[in-house]
Amino acid sequence: MKLRILGLQKMLRTAGMLIILGLAAEIFSLWWVHPLSFVLFAFVGVSLIGAGILVYLASLLFAASPPSDQKG
Amino acid sequence: MIGPTGLLYVLIVLTIGLVGVFFVRPSVTAGAGGKILAFMAMCALPAVCVGGGFFSQMQRSEETKFCISCHAMENYGKSLYVDDPSYIPAKHFQNHRVPADMACYACHADYTIYGPLKDKYQGLKRVYMQYISKPPEHITIPGGYNNHQCLRCHSGARGFEENAIHQSMMDTLKSNQVSCISSGCHDTIHNASEVSHLKMWRPGS
Repeated sequence: MKLRILGLQKMLRTAGMLIILGLAAEIFSLWWVHPLSFVLFAFVGVSLIGAGILVYLASLLFAASPPSDQKG
Repeated sequence: MIGPTGLLYVLIVLTIGLVGVFFVRPSVTAGAGGKILAFMAMCALPAVCVGGGFFSQMQRSEETKFCISCHAMENYGKSLYVDDPSYIPAKHFQNHRVPADMACYACHADYTIYGPLKDKYQGLKRVYMQYISKPPEHITIPGGYNNHQCLRCHSGARGFEENAIHQSMMDTLKSNQVSCISSGCHDTIHNASEVSHLKMWRPGS
């Protein structure tokens, strides 16, 4: 059970990191006035955010037991 | 007043903050409230941010400053300031016959339902050519310049309709058989390669 919880936490952290990086890329692409900013948004930002959401959704499959007493 | 892009910035920062909470303390998801919040922070809000970002990018790519931010388009941007009324884009831009902040888009957009997506696809192909394959020596419009871009505004306008030359060839103009920018008609367009030698108009001077 502990291994499962640790795995779940790892997945949540991975998802969070991917989403944060994707959103950071999106912010930069909005600020940057250049044709490559759309490429950065569409191919880097969206991919990272999409991967983060998928990892989060995958983590839900392991979420039968919540990591109640685990601290980050 | 904060605009749509400003709201998007706020939403993105808020989402990063919320996701950051789950990144630092994944155990927050233990309770039912935490699970709902996690779903909002790590699924719903990022999806909204992507949608908002896509909308914002599409809107921004219609702006003149975005088009001329590309190195290859610099001289085309300068040509809007040529102090010579025979230059069709300059005449339209300087007299606000097209919105100045969307001057390129006004005359080069594909005004169909999927037009903006097609334009974006063409733009991505240009980016690919510029950075990965080989940029073309001369920039051309695939399929040539379509008269419908001009007729979208000019068709039905008195000055256009009453012009004897236009009247004599109206069908061929509307069917795009003869181009508005063909030789002898409105053939002074950007002439980007000559722009550096021409006198420029300075707004406000």
